[in-house]
Amino acid sequence: MTKKVKSLAEQALFASAIFILFLLLFESKIVVPTWMQPVGRMHPLFLHFPIVILLLAMAMEMFRFNSSYATNEFYRGFLSNLLLVGVLSAAVTVVMGLFLSKEEGYSGDMLQWHKWSGVSLFYLSCLIYWSRNQAWYQATVAKSGAILAVFFLIGAGHYGAVLTHGDNFITGPITNTNAEPVALDQALVYDHVIQPIFQQKCISCHNPDKLKGELNLADVDAILKGGKSGKLFKAGLPDQSLLLQRIHLPAEEKKHMPPTGKTQLTSDEITLLALWVKSKPDFKKKVVDLPPTDSLRRIAAVLFKPAEQTEEVYDFDAADEETVKKLNNDYRTVAYLAKESPALAVNLYNRSIYSVEKLQELSEIKQQVVSLNLNKMPVKDADLKTVAQFENLQKLDLNFTDISGQGLKELAGLKHLNSLTLSGTKVTYADLQKQIGDFKSLKTVSLWETKLTIPEIQQLQKANKNIAFIAGFKDDGKDPITLNPPQVKNSSMIFDKPVALQLNHPIKGVQIRFTTDGTEPDSIHSPVFNNQTILTDMTTIKARAFKDGWFGSSLATFDFYKSTYKPDSVALLLPLNRVHQAEGAKSLFDHKLGTFNANSPAWANNWTGVRNNDMVLMAEYKKPVTVSSVALRIMVEEATGIFPPGSVEIWGGDSRDKLKLLSTVKPKMPVKGETHELKNVTCTFKPQTVTYLKIVAKPCTLPEWHGGKGKPGLVLVDEMFIN
Amino acid sequence: MEKEILEHGFNFNRRRFLSRLSLGLGSAALGSLMIPDLFGKNNADEEGLTPGIPHFAPKAKRVIYLFQNGAPSQQELFDYKPKLRELLGQEIPPSVRGTQRLTGMTANQASFPLVGSFVDFKQYGQSRAWVSDLFPHTAKIVDDLCIIKSMYTEAINHDPALTFLQTGSQQGNRPSMGSWLSYGLGNENKNLPNFTVLLSRGIGNGQGVYSKLWSNGFLDSIHQGVQFSKGEDPVLYLRDPEGMDRHARRDMLDNLAELNDLAYQEFGDPEITAKVKQYEMAYRMQTAVPEVMDLSKEPDDIIKLYGPDCLVPGTFAANCLLARKLSENGVRFVQLYHQGWDQHGNLPFEIARQAKDVDQASAALVTDLKQRGLLDETLVIWGGEFGRTSYTQGKLTADNYGRDHHPRCFTIWMAGGGIKPGMVYGETDELGYNIAQNPVHVHDFQATVLHQLGLNHEKLIFKHLGRRYRLTDVSGKVVRDILA
Repeated sequence: MTKKVKSLAEQALFASAIFILFLLLFESKIVVPTWMQPVGRMHPLFLHFPIVILLLAMAMEMFRFNSSYATNEFYRGFLSNLLLVGVLSAAVTVVMGLFLSKEEGYSGDMLQWHKWSGVSLFYLSCLIYWSRNQAWYQATVAKSGAILAVFFLIGAGHYGAVLTHGDNFITGPITNTNAEPVALDQALVYDHVIQPIFQQKCISCHNPDKLKGELNLADVDAILKGGKSGKLFKAGLPDQSLLLQRIHLPAEEKKHMPPTGKTQLTSDEITLLALWVKSKPDFKKKVVDLPPTDSLRRIAAVLFKPAEQTEEVYDFDAADEETVKKLNNDYRTVAYLAKESPALAVNLYNRSIYSVEKLQELSEIKQQVVSLNLNKMPVKDADLKTVAQFENLQKLDLNFTDISGQGLKELAGLKHLNSLTLSGTKVTYADLQKQIGDFKSLKTVSLWETKLTIPEIQQLQKANKNIAFIAGFKDDGKDPITLNPPQVKNSSMIFDKPVALQLNHPIKGVQIRFTTDGTEPDSIHSPVFNNQTILTDMTTIKARAFKDGWFGSSLATFDFYKSTYKPDSVALLLPLNRVHQAEGAKSLFDHKLGTFNANSPAWANNWTGVRNNDMVLMAEYKKPVTVSSVALRIMVEEATGIFPPGSVEIWGGDSRDKLKLLSTVKPKMPVKGETHELKNVTCTFKPQTVTYLKIVAKPCTLPEWHGGKGKPGLVLVDEMFIN
Repeated sequence: MEKEILEHGFNFNRRRFLSRLSLGLGSAALGSLMIPDLFGKNNADEEGLTPGIPHFAPKAKRVIYLFQNGAPSQQELFDYKPKLRELLGQEIPPSVRGTQRLTGMTANQASFPLVGSFVDFKQYGQSRAWVSDLFPHTAKIVDDLCIIKSMYTEAINHDPALTFLQTGSQQGNRPSMGSWLSYGLGNENKNLPNFTVLLSRGIGNGQGVYSKLWSNGFLDSIHQGVQFSKGEDPVLYLRDPEGMDRHARRDMLDNLAELNDLAYQEFGDPEITAKVKQYEMAYRMQTAVPEVMDLSKEPDDIIKLYGPDCLVPGTFAANCLLARKLSENGVRFVQLYHQGWDQHGNLPFEIARQAKDVDQASAALVTDLKQRGLLDETLVIWGGEFGRTSYTQGKLTADNYGRDHHPRCFTIWMAGGGIKPGMVYGETDELGYNIAQNPVHVHDFQATVLHQLGLNHEKLIFKHLGRRYRLTDVSGKVVRDILA
């Protein structure tokens, strides 16, 4: 730095010292013009220069008198210049800061601390600069002066930071996570939902120290008071409340809150504030006092851990892990209720292996067992004495055990027992009426499928209001339901020799009535099925099930097919459709019927099919047989173009080459809109002894009314019956 | 020597110490930047899971999931939308439809006319929940149910949606919910598999179910779902070969165990002991399974309650009854699938039949568990993989219409197991197309189910191929509002 520049700078420094003094003395009288405000606002930007420069300069000043540096020309010159620049920048910063503090929103203790520590730093630095070449300014003075300056520097910096970022800005992330999370059932709407939003997003500017807009969001009274522009909210009217208006202003608007650059509110937070204002702000209300459907409660609920988990605390110690392991076996499970819980749950399985010893063996863990499941075990009344050893038992399952009510008194001493299931046992009203009062903590008792009648259970309920008695479902016969239809048990619906009809119904005591003539069976006249019916021919069985107290079942129809002569070998002379191959020719005689099901594509379902050529099947018998009928089981579905064959021809004879036409049948064609069906096309003819049979099914031409008119119909056949 | 000592001293001088320290601190800081939990309290490994013991005391011990495969139409069952009837035939506003992706079946449909339910709704119980006339039995137990009308999913086709609901991922190869529970909770009854599967099929248009849905994924194979079928052999390969009696079987197993033990001594392969355990379990199942499958001892009231079909193996009613028996016997997770809910067309006819198939038995199961005092500890879930559209698929005629897949909202119900009874949670908009209130994502639902069983869904993890996997993948929040 040339001498000239330096002296200019020194004069500027002197002038600024005077100017600052003036500003400080007449602070209250000064008004900063608008055009000067940007200068003030550059304070937070500019302040970093004096911090760094002065820090470095003060450090160098401390060691200035070290013998090695004291004589170093560069060190001396550099330090002197550095100090000057530092002090000057401090002067500028102070001026800016004083301007800024005149803007609205800056007041309070923190500002005063910041201001005076900053000003002190400035004047101290000036003093050091001007007196550092005096004779009395020696090492000790230099060191203490530098340390003091650094002290002010840190102070000013710290208080300034608190002004801008708020208290706890640095430690916030750590201290916040350590804060005990509040349980939902204890949370207050204001303290734990609303205030945290203010705390995180607003309070750094709207606090008692930095009253931006004269608004303080730190305490309830101040919030109710509002700020410069008026009250913060109109209770119940979020739309007209300043708080939400400011939040909802477009981000580029000057008055939008929080200001651009600061962390913005999330949409959930905005909704919460709006709902809070709408709900007429209350500072004492608990979150759980709001109705469960309340939106505020719903959104807020996720902020909290759930209503204090009723994780039970047990006053006994955990059993030895080895013991627990040892007591576990294939038919007895001893399990910890949860990790780190001393409580154990015991389940017993397998009736045939149960004995009371299985319970006696548990004496080592008698304190720890809180739940015992003896469901369906042959537990006797006497065994309950052993059960009573589990002093901390809370839940006992005795469903379908062999106890009678008399043994229950053994259990009355279980102080913690709250759930007892007795469904399917022999307990009686008298037993329970006498003893149930002795069970002090009992909350539920299940009594379904016991001797107790509904009025008796109601009686018990009346006498013991703190216990819930579960009666369960008992059929009173007032609401009969419909039986399901009978089922057929024959292994196949196709037979070659006479066969006994096997009908069945899963419900005991059901009467099955059936007909063979195609009429619908009724509950009075139709024959009752008695396992004596022999089927000799193609028969359609129609059956229904009946039982007292039930509505009769719907109709079940079973088609039985007779197929006397199964060919010894079969071959198709023309190909099948690519997708209707089934198992080829042999699937026509495999006694497996295809079913009609929209979800089972025909080609995966026993159906062989042709469309573009005839289906021609050659059947051969090793010994000649006398036949008089051939039937084809076909599928018809007008909508998808599955039609009966236009004609079926049966040819027969002694040799492959000399066959004569035995019968031609033209099946009835469906009409438009007919639903799908499975039916037989039967060709009958004079009894004829044959070795070879040729069966020809010719696809029809789809009729005029059909969507595919003129094209051949699809022929699907799943089985053929030769008799 | 002196030199070496000096050098050693240099190696540990202050400067070196500091530079090393800074490197160490730097990498630690970097590490914690990239893995936020590195030094946090939420380190899963730290709290880790002891497989087989819940994280905290569970509300429910077992789950029965009545899966309605094919996606039942909420508009005809639980989600009452009178507005849809008013607007019959009108186009769904594009603002409502938004950018929702459509399936290939309706993507090219020229118009999307709204259609209301063909069936009426009424309010029932103290909760005044709306239930359609198709569900008269379910209507009677609404006060035991928590009906969630605001479920939503991410997939629009059956397989991915089903896989997503069951495994938390659309792609499969992950463990099913039942497998996770088996892994997390362990066996209650060592004589039955922890996770069983029962299939049934209604008359309606159906969609397949495949064994990948009850796969153990990367978990141990003992957590795989075991399918119980309707035939003579409910569990395949469990029966002794012909001519072998139980004693011979026992002897065989004993001898085999000895041989296996020798092999184990020699090779130390843990799979050998695992195999022995599985043989033993199968042996125990030989007596336990027939006992469970035997329905002949069920009292008449039970048959009336579930309906007569409960005695016809392979029906939904029979599977419900069986589910109760399995659950009662300590099976942690009983998964039912009832097929036939995919009503793209012919909806009024098909859904009525479907509803009839499941209504009585579903309600009966809840009642039955309740009367045995088991409903508190058994969580029953009823629902499909997604919902159906408010507009018709295909032609809208006077008495017929269909509905396409709709992932944005669907209805399920839960009962028991510490879920709030008599509650209707969530709302859809008045056209039943978007969720208006309290959406529940599939992962939220899964997190809630795990929570009821004492498992923290963020801690029920399994490390596989270098990654920690969860049922809820990387999201999911427990729906606290529906917890009792």
